[in-house]
Amino acid sequence: MSSGTENGSHGGHLHYGMVIDLDKCTGCGACSVACQEENNISFRADESDKLRGISWLTLYRLENGKEYPAYRAISLPRPCMHCSGGHDSPCTYVCPVNATKRDPETGLVNHIPVRCIGCRYCMVACPYHARSFNWWDPVWPDPLTKMLTPEVSPRMRGVIEKCTFCGHRLNRARDQARVAGEDPKMVAYTPACVEACPTKAMVFGNLKDPQSEAAKLAKDPRAFQILAKLNTDPSVYYLSKEQWVHKLSDNDL
Amino acid sequence: MSVGRRAFLQFVGGAVGGTLLSPLPWKLADDSAIWSQNWSWRPSPERGEFTEKPSVCQLCPSACGILVRLVNGKQAVRIRGNSNHPFSKGGICPLGASGLQFVYAPYRIREPLKQTGTRGDPNGFKPISWDEALKEMGTRLAALRQENKAPSVAVITGQSRGSMSDLWRQFMTAYGSPNLFTMPDESDSQRLAARLAFGAAAPFTFAFERADYVLSFGLNLLDGWGPFVRMQNVFSNWRTESAGAVQTELVQIEGRASVTASKANQWVAVNPGTEALFALGLAYVLIESNLYDAGFMTDQVFGFDNWTDAAGNSHEGFKQFVLKHYSPDQVSKETGATAEEIIAIGRKFGAQKSALAVWGQGRGTHASNLYHDLAFMALNLLKGNLKNNGLVSLETPPPFAPLPEAAAVSSTAEGLAGTRLDLASSAKPPLPGNALHSFCDALGGSPAYPLELLLVHEANPAYTMAEPSLFRKAAAKTRMVVSFASTMDETAAMADLILPNHSPLERLDDIIGLPATPCAFYAIAAPVLAPQLDTRSSGDVLLTLARAAGEATAKALPWNNYETFLKDRVKGLAASQRGAVAGPTAVNLTTMQAGQNLQPNYKSDSDLWKKLLAGACWYDAPGDHLATLPTASGLIELACRSLPLAPGQAADDKLFLPHYQPLPPSGAADQFPLQLVTYQTVTVAAGLHPNPPFMNKLIPDDLLLGNEMFVEIHPRTAQQLQLADKARVVVQTPQGEAAARVRITHAARPGYVFMAQGFGHKNQDEYVRGKGVNANELVEVQLDPLTGLGTVWITRAQLRKA
Amino acid sequence: MDKALIPDGVKRCPLPLFGLWLLVLLAIIGWGVYAGLSVLIQGLNITGLNNYFGFGLYICADLAIIALGAGAFFSGFLYYGMSRFFPVLKEELQKIINLAVIVGFCCYTGALAVLLLEIGQPIRGWFGYWHANVHSMLTEVIFCISCYAIVLVIEYLPIVLENRKLDAIRGVHFFGHSLHEAMAIFALTGTFLSFFHQGSLGGVPGVMFGRPFAFRTGFFVWPWTFFLFTLSAIACGPSFTALICKAVEGVTRKRLVDRSVYELIAKISGTALLIYFVLKCADTLYWALDTAPGFGLKLSDFYQEPYGMWLLVAELGVGGLLPVILLLTPNLGTSNGLLFLGFFLNCFGICVNRFAMTVEAIAIPVMPFDRWAFYTPTWAEWAPVIAMLAYGTLIISLSYRYLPVFPQEKKLNVR
Repeated sequence: MSSGTENGSHGGHLHYGMVIDLDKCTGCGACSVACQEENNISFRADESDKLRGISWLTLYRLENGKEYPAYRAISLPRPCMHCSGGHDSPCTYVCPVNATKRDPETGLVNHIPVRCIGCRYCMVACPYHARSFNWWDPVWPDPLTKMLTPEVSPRMRGVIEKCTFCGHRLNRARDQARVAGEDPKMVAYTPACVEACPTKAMVFGNLKDPQSEAAKLAKDPRAFQILAKLNTDPSVYYLSKEQWVHKLSDNDL
Repeated sequence: MSVGRRAFLQFVGGAVGGTLLSPLPWKLADDSAIWSQNWSWRPSPERGEFTEKPSVCQLCPSACGILVRLVNGKQAVRIRGNSNHPFSKGGICPLGASGLQFVYAPYRIREPLKQTGTRGDPNGFKPISWDEALKEMGTRLAALRQENKAPSVAVITGQSRGSMSDLWRQFMTAYGSPNLFTMPDESDSQRLAARLAFGAAAPFTFAFERADYVLSFGLNLLDGWGPFVRMQNVFSNWRTESAGAVQTELVQIEGRASVTASKANQWVAVNPGTEALFALGLAYVLIESNLYDAGFMTDQVFGFDNWTDAAGNSHEGFKQFVLKHYSPDQVSKETGATAEEIIAIGRKFGAQKSALAVWGQGRGTHASNLYHDLAFMALNLLKGNLKNNGLVSLETPPPFAPLPEAAAVSSTAEGLAGTRLDLASSAKPPLPGNALHSFCDALGGSPAYPLELLLVHEANPAYTMAEPSLFRKAAAKTRMVVSFASTMDETAAMADLILPNHSPLERLDDIIGLPATPCAFYAIAAPVLAPQLDTRSSGDVLLTLARAAGEATAKALPWNNYETFLKDRVKGLAASQRGAVAGPTAVNLTTMQAGQNLQPNYKSDSDLWKKLLAGACWYDAPGDHLATLPTASGLIELACRSLPLAPGQAADDKLFLPHYQPLPPSGAADQFPLQLVTYQTVTVAAGLHPNPPFMNKLIPDDLLLGNEMFVEIHPRTAQQLQLADKARVVVQTPQGEAAARVRITHAARPGYVFMAQGFGHKNQDEYVRGKGVNANELVEVQLDPLTGLGTVWITRAQLRKA
Repeated sequence: MDKALIPDGVKRCPLPLFGLWLLVLLAIIGWGVYAGLSVLIQGLNITGLNNYFGFGLYICADLAIIALGAGAFFSGFLYYGMSRFFPVLKEELQKIINLAVIVGFCCYTGALAVLLLEIGQPIRGWFGYWHANVHSMLTEVIFCISCYAIVLVIEYLPIVLENRKLDAIRGVHFFGHSLHEAMAIFALTGTFLSFFHQGSLGGVPGVMFGRPFAFRTGFFVWPWTFFLFTLSAIACGPSFTALICKAVEGVTRKRLVDRSVYELIAKISGTALLIYFVLKCADTLYWALDTAPGFGLKLSDFYQEPYGMWLLVAELGVGGLLPVILLLTPNLGTSNGLLFLGFFLNCFGICVNRFAMTVEAIAIPVMPFDRWAFYTPTWAEWAPVIAMLAYGTLIISLSYRYLPVFPQEKKLNVR
């Protein structure tokens, strides 16, 4: 890329990121359920068409390709990668209406559904398939509407949605910091998925704070990013001691 | 004319131009955009103040601590883990996180219902008032007792770890019926095994936290077995590198690449159902290589060496028996593992300082063959794991005050007194357990006496029981089936009367003991929501019925309501002055000693009650089960000489000893060349609660696509059957047949068909029903001749193109 | 009946026959409108699109039709701009320039209508203008296409005003005449706009740096696809106009332009296609040998049935090299069949290219552990696209019948 100087989140001292230990993850899906509940993600009676469903945090199955009984499979939870590549994120670069933007202060890539016109360009541009389109009007059968949380507005038909690293939780944490008279800028918070994980395989924090667990783990020899060769520089790191898992993280490794 | 046209055109042109220059189109464009951002049919969540209430999850026996977020104190919107809970530590499973989808499930039962049509008619249910329903039930119970037909009332409860099951037991004892069953569970056979060996009927517990080498025989430790979140925590610790700490190694012995097998340090693939044989092969290696705890085996264990009975007959001991029959070469063929593997694992197991063997089937929802439980126990004995404070122990119940004495049964019909229906026949097993399958089998066949009333509480045997047709046949022979279900599940749908219970988060309930966890445990699940519908707590309902059923039951169950009963229990617990309430600092199972005296940190019984209601849980160190062994020898009896055997049988020494004893499956091998094994995954709820919509998103599309489910087969099996991936097939077993599609994968063992449980619901709503088929319908249950318990291992099967 | 509206001195089929033809076209358009309304009311779930194929037939057809409609801008550019240096262009292109404009008009307005269906929230589609993200290639596309569509309306207007009846009105005549005078400015504005948005359309896939099939970087200006798209549109636009012209000639069984026009277009189209072909081959090679390996991918990784290597062969061989030969070989030029086959294959090749850059580009799963997915358009996608073609046919039919589209018609059809 010619204009690699335009830095996204590389300026400040704050860059929220996530590290997911695949050696610990058992693929139970608690993270995904917590995410769905936290973010009012709609569901349909038939969720087996994976290409039409809405999922902010998808569990992928990775297989080592060997024969029984050398066969192994693991789960890989994939939230939005909140790419922090030099130029821009693949999605934020292409959105014609500025409905998705990267916050240079935090590294978070947001998405504003009411701004979105549903052109799906961002979805096409994202190599991680982190974005889902609302193909249908969301319907919660009565009385399941009662469990919709007011913190995140349900989306309407015809727009894109994706993981926000629970941006509303960041806002909540900042509000609390303000009330407590602390610096609202550098607050620590935890997204719903990380909070739910029963194996503590997910760690969230400031990647630029060398003292944070996330930053330390991101430098672990077991750490890798998915599709690092695309220079998207995801804010989500994965840990695995398995070579075959590393091999599956990018093409031609 | 032409002037008119021109004028018209000018007018149109002017109007268009004028409108465009006016703010109108821009305002319209803006307004319509705003409208599109606020479509009225998009639900808008109620806004308001957030509060958070602690409780304990009741959706599985894990009893995880939860925090429920409420909007304006009345709408629950979110469940998250409670980090103050000593065992779940803030973790939660997908089912627990989906809990609100059961409270707000559209398929909940709104009020008491009475079937007015034929049984099973979905349109036949008519609402009936609580007063009317309870009056009818009370009258019926009283009448049956009056007519000396008390045993013709049976109860099945799925809530085996809670005061509700004690309350049912109290009721049934006072009422005079022995026909009380809990839903099948692996602890059913473990209790009997422990009774033989330790003289105490309690399930085993495992100190995973202290082990450095764990051999898991078919137990899906990470796929949802037992104390789910505790296991996830334990596994997480195993995989956390910390300076100086020993990394625990997990070895999985299983036929299928489950999550546990995939995440284990080593996976040994064996023929499903031969795990116990593998364990005996390891016992051979330990004995032969002298890697066992010889001192313990001689001093504390009876029957390791040859022994002599009271009559002076000498019998073969375990040592000689194993060395004779279970050498690696002998074991290798049938298990499918190589002799080298067996020797290597046996030596490693023997050499490790804290090696633990755990066993069970999948998620532990079936009882095991008694001899197999004993075989796995024997392997642990050889390692000295059952020493005081060892890695394996027996579950310790909390020291409750005893319940009021239930009046002895006095007035039951002649010849039936105290005889459980399944034990009334001539072929009575010597060591009967919680044999629901035998009961259903007896009732569905030609029962010794007819059943008038079957009460089903917090259970859905018509769906979750292996071979549920046994239950359906039994229910068909019962005059009246009453369900306490809170949702319209398969069993509720075939009931004659439904007395709906509150949903878990609406009711006050308790949890006694955590499965397989080496400490005593008690927690109260406080209600976080007011009841949403016209339902009643089954505890209250049962107490009302007890008052109506007769004097004996009224006396034995003197509490006004269920809350008073629970308060009474907590009072007893507080009076024992044992145990402590777990605060923010987690219970350390690594350092807790058996018999250790914890300092009670509650002031009074009301203080304890308050703390428990606030989500804290009571715990206590496990008891020292070796202090006084009530066995005949005063030792752990590896040779089960207390086993009541038929006179002729005793000639065979093997009958006293743990041994491999597969029950042959029915059906001809040429007609059914494959073997069907069912399994459970953590992402598909297969128990009382069906898969909630949230979890539907977790099901991969090569397990469920549309309404078709997939069975797993190995590529070689597929090749032999000439099946392509995704091919539609019919899975047939001697029990029945079902349509499915095949997923060809190296996760499956050649020659086997693996089928997931949790699909094929028939009721509930469109988010649940009609997806796939219920694997339980296809499996074959075999009754263990020793205990009468229904066991499930292998079912012969064939696959053919659909 | 409609004699008064038909240009002077030319013969047209009887009105009932024409009416029947219009009915057929209107029926097809009606079907497309019904499909379009269904999409608007029920949502995009009735299409075959999904989260992996966010772009499908709508976008593919839009890109293709806009490329094919490029005849308007390029002919205009040659006619008004380049003819200063090459007078022959003025003389020859004058014979077909009207048709080129009409085809361009149909293509762009039709494409805009389909584009409205493509977005999930058409009601607030205008956010593209209001909240524009200047980085986004789609912003550039939205602006340029709508501006150029306006230019085409302006260019089409004087042709409409040449209708005998309208022209008889003094004011209209004067207005039309003035527009004609100013047409060079509009044509060159159009050229400018079109040059950019054809390029931006190439930029749409070209800037997706997370999508190794589409992403391009290297010499020229980043990304190459920008210029390749412009060039390919230049190559196929005139060919498409020629094909349409031939089709009108076929249907009306008349000669409407000199053969020299076709020969000129063959030369222009052929030359442009040759340049494009060479550059596209260079692009493909550079991409296959440098860009893609940089992402860890081999050429063969991108092609899996049904999106197999045959697409590359169809695009560059059948739709690239073959038409270059057909259009540029002088001897072959004498055969009508081969000449128009050349035009057709040229258009075909570009359509395949647009398909490759939209649908196929997103078919390859980038994450190595992901699976290939496939896309099949549904009737709700086919209907509006077919209706768009019917709409173009309708406009051309009406224009041909009532407007003096072909200045040579009278001369070439003297009995």
